[in-house]
Amino acid sequence: MKRLFIFLTIVSLMSCEDEIFPTLNTNDPVIVVDAWINNKPEPQTIRLTRTQDYFTDQFSPGITGATVTVTDDDDVVYTFEEQSDGDYVWEPTEDRPVFGTSWKTYRLFIEIGNTTLQSNTLMGRVPEIDSIGFRFEPEDTFLPDSYFADVWARDPVGPGDTYWIKTWKNGEYLSKPGEISLAYDAGFSAGGNVDGLIFIQPIRDSINPFDQDDNDDFLSPYDPGDSVYVEIHSLSEDSYKYLTDIQIQTDRPGGFGELFATPLSNVGTNIRINSNGGEEKAIGFFNVSAVSTAGRLLDPDNLPGERPE
Amino acid sequence: MKKSYTLFLALIFLWQGATAQEKVTISGYLTDISNGESLIGATVYITEIQGGTISNVYGFYSVTLEPGTYNIEYRYVGYETISRTVELTGNQRIDIELGEVNQQLEEVVISAEPEDANVTSIEMSTAKLDIKTIQALPAFLGEADVIKSIQLLPGVSTVGEGASGFNVRGGGVGQNLVLLDEAPVYNSSHLLGFFSVFNPDAVKDVKLYKGGIPARYGGRIASLLDIRMKEGNAKEFEATGGIGTIFSRLALEAPIIKDKASFIVAGRRSYADVLAAPFTDVLDDGAALNFYDLTAKANYNINDRNRIYLSGYFGRDNFKFDERQGFSWGNSTATLRWNHLFNDRLFSNFTVFYSDYDYNLAFGENDRDKFEWDSRIRTTSFKPDFSYFVNTNNELAFGGELLYYRFDPANAVGVSDGESTDISLDPKYGLEASIYLSNDQNIGDNLSLQYGIRGSSFTYMGPGDVFTYAQAEVPGERREVIGVETADRREPIESYFNLEPRFSFRYQVNPSASIKGSYNRMAQYIHLISNTTASNPLDVWTPSTNNIEPQLGDQFTLGYFKNFGESNDYETSAEVYYRSTENQIDYIDGADLLINEFLEGDILSGIGRAYGLELYAKKNVGRVNGWVSYTLGKTELKVDGINQGDWYNTRFDQTHNFKIALFYELNERWSFSTNFTYLSGTPTTFPTARFEQQGYVIPYNDNDERNNIRIPDYHRLDIAATLKGRKYNRKGELRKNRDSWVFSVYNLYSRRNPFSIYFTQGTDRPVAAQPISTEAQQVSIIGSFFPSVSYNFTF
Repeated sequence: MKRLFIFLTIVSLMSCEDEIFPTLNTNDPVIVVDAWINNKPEPQTIRLTRTQDYFTDQFSPGITGATVTVTDDDDVVYTFEEQSDGDYVWEPTEDRPVFGTSWKTYRLFIEIGNTTLQSNTLMGRVPEIDSIGFRFEPEDTFLPDSYFADVWARDPVGPGDTYWIKTWKNGEYLSKPGEISLAYDAGFSAGGNVDGLIFIQPIRDSINPFDQDDNDDFLSPYDPGDSVYVEIHSLSEDSYKYLTDIQIQTDRPGGFGELFATPLSNVGTNIRINSNGGEEKAIGFFNVSAVSTAGRLLDPDNLPGERPE
Repeated sequence: MKKSYTLFLALIFLWQGATAQEKVTISGYLTDISNGESLIGATVYITEIQGGTISNVYGFYSVTLEPGTYNIEYRYVGYETISRTVELTGNQRIDIELGEVNQQLEEVVISAEPEDANVTSIEMSTAKLDIKTIQALPAFLGEADVIKSIQLLPGVSTVGEGASGFNVRGGGVGQNLVLLDEAPVYNSSHLLGFFSVFNPDAVKDVKLYKGGIPARYGGRIASLLDIRMKEGNAKEFEATGGIGTIFSRLALEAPIIKDKASFIVAGRRSYADVLAAPFTDVLDDGAALNFYDLTAKANYNINDRNRIYLSGYFGRDNFKFDERQGFSWGNSTATLRWNHLFNDRLFSNFTVFYSDYDYNLAFGENDRDKFEWDSRIRTTSFKPDFSYFVNTNNELAFGGELLYYRFDPANAVGVSDGESTDISLDPKYGLEASIYLSNDQNIGDNLSLQYGIRGSSFTYMGPGDVFTYAQAEVPGERREVIGVETADRREPIESYFNLEPRFSFRYQVNPSASIKGSYNRMAQYIHLISNTTASNPLDVWTPSTNNIEPQLGDQFTLGYFKNFGESNDYETSAEVYYRSTENQIDYIDGADLLINEFLEGDILSGIGRAYGLELYAKKNVGRVNGWVSYTLGKTELKVDGINQGDWYNTRFDQTHNFKIALFYELNERWSFSTNFTYLSGTPTTFPTARFEQQGYVIPYNDNDERNNIRIPDYHRLDIAATLKGRKYNRKGELRKNRDSWVFSVYNLYSRRNPFSIYFTQGTDRPVAAQPISTEAQQVSIIGSFFPSVSYNFTF
């Protein structure tokens, strides 16, 4: 997989790109709900903003004065308090140190003036991370002497579990659109027939950053002394499709790769709006995740990598 | 149904009436005297009746007349006319060999039709390119190319460099039927879309039907590209070849039995990787970037009444980043044909062909962890075709076709840490059967008609799972499976039947002008599934099923054709067309088209319309010749769930399409050519806003619009110069070998023509708690001029 990535990057250099500044049509701002909460023992944030014109380098404007609650199957109400410009936060308590339980359905309810927004989601389950491995590969055509990390976990039996694998290198979140890593069971899609397996290799290897230096040469993903920290977040099936769409719309290959690119289209939403006769629109997504985590330091004396049973 | 029955009776009546009289027939084959190649579309003109016929694709002609004495002229552009005076008392076989005119300047022969065919022939909306013209046009990297050349004709376009295939009158790439010696070629492109798979050294004749498609052909709704291979020199050994910048070619042809049997074998291979190998280590561990193809054909003239042809094509493209990983694709076709003359007036051809297109991808650096996937479509067919030359005013054609399809959308295996998982999808099967009957009729001196009907059927059959899908709650969303049944082997799952009427007329206003019109209905039972910006080799073909209905297209055309000058020095034409289509395929947002068992749930269906005006002017004679073509067109779709259910432009809608091709013959050795292309930018979708979700910046289009904006216009100028080798050697003798150098520059003024525009948050990793800026990038696949040199030879 890494070779494919690098190959495409090199092939892309054969074509050329120019930044352009077209005039775009604009629209009245639309409500955006960014409600991805999880069961990590920490405050949970739901962000309410509005869309802004495409060419900008500002944060989206927050929506203030809203009421935000999440209710579970047992009618337990979690209230998200407005903390700062558009951020609504639920704080863990001693009684409830974490948010949510797998296989429960959660209902989001938001009130902004006359407008109400609602959404439901099912909190999925997540496998424990068995281990994180490192391996060394000597210099080849595309890469210098390199250390690669891989994450090992086995998808639980039962089809339809979906995950978002997030990685931090030395505390820095790998936040490029191209670094979004999603799994459907142990593979990439529903038709994959990969239920109950160890994550397939491209998914295990998806925790490596491929950065380039100032000369556009590729760097080793990890160096001795680096840390890697991985979180696997469970997704609802709708959230999985939503993130897949986000990946398609944000991870643009550029260059030659555009021959294989799909055209721009809107990503979906699971937010329903009732603006009581108004013309407000809302987009965005609500998901509650179970999370498992693991981390490791790269110690070159302790290689090559081990395999889990 | 009743209508066609009446028509059939009328035709039978005609036939009966004609055969009842005591008439005699002259018939035979027309061939080139230098190499024995049959001449397609040569004229047989009988002075006494001021009319005649045209040789068919196998070079056969047949004319039935009252007994008497006739003067017959055999004519073919660029060839010496042969006249024969024949006293006809009984049926007579006359095979004629024509020789090329020995012109001082070998002018480019733009058309192989008789000089006034554009006006006098019933055909409209067709374009024929002689292989010599194709070779004279400036080409990308100096390589003559069939598909690139037809794009210089009105009504034909492409969405950009690197895109596979071509678009005709607003139709999709998968709506063209591309036939190589009768066998369909599913992907006509090498190296994505930079070259086409047809080796010009082995091609004899190229004809594109954009409208008025005869009843003989069916299966795609936009166009038919009929490519005929050379038979191979039946007189003597001949080798043709070329050494180019990107690939080399060699074609060998020779008689097996002189004038009876011959063959041609032609191959090409790209060698950028071979040349680069000593200078880079990129290729050391098995990486490859190449393509090759092999075209071969043999024919045997058994006797006066029987001739067989065996032809085949095999080609492959390889993109490999090491020994184990990469992707490749290729077509292979094989055709066996038997021409049989039942009598002097009943010509028949029986074709059996096999066509196979496949691609495969492989990832994974070792056997414990890998992913392998291949996909293919295979077609086997039997196709009998008959021509009955009733009299000089009627030519009846009838026959049928039986096509058996097998689709393998995915044979795929994933191995994860030694655990292997088969993620293959079941194959799908289909049977397409059709019969047709049509007649070409002359009524009086000025009116010709061609009318016919094609009945086609398609059966989607088992074995396999048959899915039923729920209606989408909101149009444009994924439809969920609500039922699964299992079909047995050969069990019909769904059947479709369509009647496809075809009609054309030509009215000769005066000897140099005519009005032509046509109507045709076409049905298409297999669909090319592609939602990328441009068609590419990974697109999958899928049959009509219980969930996907066959595509239907109705096209109307009307045109005015006028020639000027003493010997039709200038040809002009103006045509308008309108096509409405049904069951056009589009996709839900975020559709998953590859290895998806529930693909049908991601497919949307709608209607389409395409209309336009095509203008064409051509200068046939003189040192400077060439043509100008202009198309004003529009093509749209209306699909529930896209663009809020309103009409939207297709991705390949181009308002203006303007081309010039010019040839200049300086002297015996030097000739020059140039072409200029101007195209309106293709439609694309721009966002109206952006929003953030979990730190990613996502484009948003407020009204769910599709293709609401156009990318900037495309224009390009190419030039080429050809230097022919000396005709005589130092002793003043005519050289047997001929050779030439071709120098060309593609995209002379280095325009960065836009291929697409995309919107992105940039490639840098966003920094936490910092806002992200967004930008628009315009991609040019070819951003500079491309010079090239190639050397061509024949001996």
